[in-house]
Amino acid sequence: MNDIVIELEGVWKIFGERAGEAMAAVKAEGLAKSEVLERFGAVVGIADVSFNVRRGEIFCIMGLSGSGKSTLVRHLNRLIEPTAGVIKLLGQDVMSLAESELRAMRAQKIGMVFQHMALLPHRSVRDNVAYPLEIRGEPKGRRWDVSQHTLSLVGLDGFEDRFPRELSGGMQQRVGLARALASDPDVLLMDEPFSALDPLIRRQLQNQFMALSEQLHKTTLFITHDLDEAIRLGTRIAIMKDGRIVQIGTPEEIVTDPADDYVRDFVQDISKLKLVFAHTIMEPLESYRAAAGEAKDLSESPRAPEDSDLDRLVDVSITTPHPIVITGAGGRDVGVVTKDRLLRGIQGGK
Amino acid sequence: MSVRTPGGAGSDRGHGRSERAAGAAPAFDIGDSVREFAGPRGDYYARAFRRIQSKAGLAATFNRAAALFGPVWAAARGLWGLFWCFAILELLALVQLSKGLFSELGAAPLARAARLEKNYEKMVDRVQAALEKGDQAGADSFSLKAERLHAALEKALTQADEAAAGATGLVIFGLIALAAVKGLEGWVANLSCEKRYSRWRTDRTMRAGFSWTGAALGAVFAALVYPLTLYGFAATEPVALIGTFPADTSHYQALAGSIDRGFDRAADELAFFFQGIARGIRILLDGLEVIFVETPWPVVMTVIVVAAWRLAGPRVAIFTVAALAYVAVLGFWEKAMSTVALLGTASFLCVAIGIPLGVWFARSERAYAVARPVLDLMQTLPAFVYLIPIIAFFGTGKPPGILASMMFGLPPIVRLTALGLREVPKEVIEAARAFGATGRQILVGVEIPLAAPSIMTGVNQTILMCLSLVVIAALIDAKGLGYDVLEALQYAAKGQGILAGFAILFCAIVIDRMVQGGFRRE
Repeated sequence: MNDIVIELEGVWKIFGERAGEAMAAVKAEGLAKSEVLERFGAVVGIADVSFNVRRGEIFCIMGLSGSGKSTLVRHLNRLIEPTAGVIKLLGQDVMSLAESELRAMRAQKIGMVFQHMALLPHRSVRDNVAYPLEIRGEPKGRRWDVSQHTLSLVGLDGFEDRFPRELSGGMQQRVGLARALASDPDVLLMDEPFSALDPLIRRQLQNQFMALSEQLHKTTLFITHDLDEAIRLGTRIAIMKDGRIVQIGTPEEIVTDPADDYVRDFVQDISKLKLVFAHTIMEPLESYRAAAGEAKDLSESPRAPEDSDLDRLVDVSITTPHPIVITGAGGRDVGVVTKDRLLRGIQGGK
Repeated sequence: MSVRTPGGAGSDRGHGRSERAAGAAPAFDIGDSVREFAGPRGDYYARAFRRIQSKAGLAATFNRAAALFGPVWAAARGLWGLFWCFAILELLALVQLSKGLFSELGAAPLARAARLEKNYEKMVDRVQAALEKGDQAGADSFSLKAERLHAALEKALTQADEAAAGATGLVIFGLIALAAVKGLEGWVANLSCEKRYSRWRTDRTMRAGFSWTGAALGAVFAALVYPLTLYGFAATEPVALIGTFPADTSHYQALAGSIDRGFDRAADELAFFFQGIARGIRILLDGLEVIFVETPWPVVMTVIVVAAWRLAGPRVAIFTVAALAYVAVLGFWEKAMSTVALLGTASFLCVAIGIPLGVWFARSERAYAVARPVLDLMQTLPAFVYLIPIIAFFGTGKPPGILASMMFGLPPIVRLTALGLREVPKEVIEAARAFGATGRQILVGVEIPLAAPSIMTGVNQTILMCLSLVVIAALIDAKGLGYDVLEALQYAAKGQGILAGFAILFCAIVIDRMVQGGFRRE
């Protein structure tokens, strides 16, 4: 079930004329980024990145500008060639593909959405969406069928015969999404697709994308510089800094257990209410009893399942003076959340 | 927060720094950096720059060193632009001065006066001789002549006096001009120094400070240029070497001869190649001539008007009817159509060669770097110059005429195609690549459509460039409307020239409107 769709192993990208030499030196001596620049005049774009993405996952790569996230996503379809490392897509080693095989893979297995839409201004919305099929040499009838279908998926019925410039930014990006979906690819690569949109439209498109994702179960690599977005959309999140991945985890793991100060800084202002669950903040029943004494009566305490989020726990907590008992599998009591713990949990587990 | 007042920055003299109102910006001290910039006499420049910067307009400061040494000062400060300005202005003043002082301005009228005096004395002798012979009539006529000579002599002498007096005027004028130039130098010096300082702040690699090398170099320049110029202007008869360059005509003849031989040999040995090109052009031209010239005129005319209507709308169609009527009624029809066939062939070849070249140059920076000077040359070289090799290799007639037009018409389409392709957004090309497009698919489906406006501008310019060369092509027997204009030039036939000229103009306008209309429709 959870088969791996994307697999990256020790991927490096060094820009510059002496990239090869620099790579060898980095491997042999473990040079830092600044040393590589000084000695070889080469810039390290991606440094030793490894991760796996499972089928149906939305894997967010979050980082600030210059962290290498956009460079990284372009390695998946070899728009940028890695300096070293292994990249596998659907079990196929991308680096071993010949030029024509690579093009076939791009056309059939991968859909890509770009930050600045990159629509073809001289073609109608319909022909833009059908462009990947046209490249594959599909007949016109099929192209029109498919573009009609994908445009209705993204809610753009009735705009088929307009030109991109007649559409708003949000609608243009929906055309971009429809184009990426047109060839029914296994993998979606989304390079900051919503970053150029204003916040309201962005939220709207995020919701639409999530709904679409539930429906289509596309394995998605989603690039963003916005941690909120990553947390909203991501099954898992990788945080990048200076070309390296600092931390990979579920939104909850990232928020409750940041790997270093850099991640902690990001996470600080994120609301934990919907992200942190009872099992993370509860005190196990045994230790609670050990501290409070066996006599402590929990019979009047309300019960809540262990996958309740903090928001839910707050709702429960305000109805009672007693601590909340958390129940695990089969309704067994497994832990206790007191008001103090709940408040600390909302603060981020200080 | 206190309210900021516009004059806040300057209105706080006498207050300590701490007492300043919150809204007033503290004075920004440029002293140290100016001292670093200026080197010697840093304090002076710090004061001068401060003064210049405190004025909104041009501040009045006077740099005595600059006024005294002029260009040499500018050279020492590294202001070479100013060096030449100063040198030229000073020379203008000095030339007046030296002319007034040293050249004999009255020399020419004085020489004439001396000649006249001699003649006058001869004439007086003749009068004497005639009187001695008793020839009263002869003596009268001689004395009349002598009187006239005397009057001329007087006139020449006054002219010489006036010229000599003019010399004093020149000296005075030169002195005033020199003083004015010196004043200007002293004033401008600090202003331009301050400008240089402002630029130097952002670019520290710039020359700054005082350089003895610069001063020496400036002095050497001045020492070479000043005396020579002054001598050239002031001396009555300067040495010939200064006036004209001592050119050796034998080099010229040898070079021209060897070029002649080179051309002849190339024309002989590559005759098949050049003839092949000419034949190819001929085939294309014949095809177009069949269409335009040999098809009955009502058919051609109807097609042109309908095409104008379809491409550019009713207004252009009406204009086209009027233009065609002018051309036809005045009997230019056949010539106009052969011109259009000529033009069509040249433009078609330009586009067919130019667009692929443009695509190549857009891709390869190196190829474009090599081609750019060639394109520049093709456009700047006077048309008559490249008619010479064309005649040498292709002889005269229509194909060479078309080639000459192509020389002129090719650069715009190449340039604008390359420009258009370079301006296609990289993201769009990347998107096409990401969906698996091949290089050819990207070129045809993305790059060329997006570059189309630029390419079309290129096509339009190419057509008009080719048309502008039609008259010149007539020089090498390309016939057409240009021939009428050429003939009119040779025989000064004003009427013929103007009528034929208008026929060319109308052709150009109709073609331009139709082509542009066609592009706009796309």
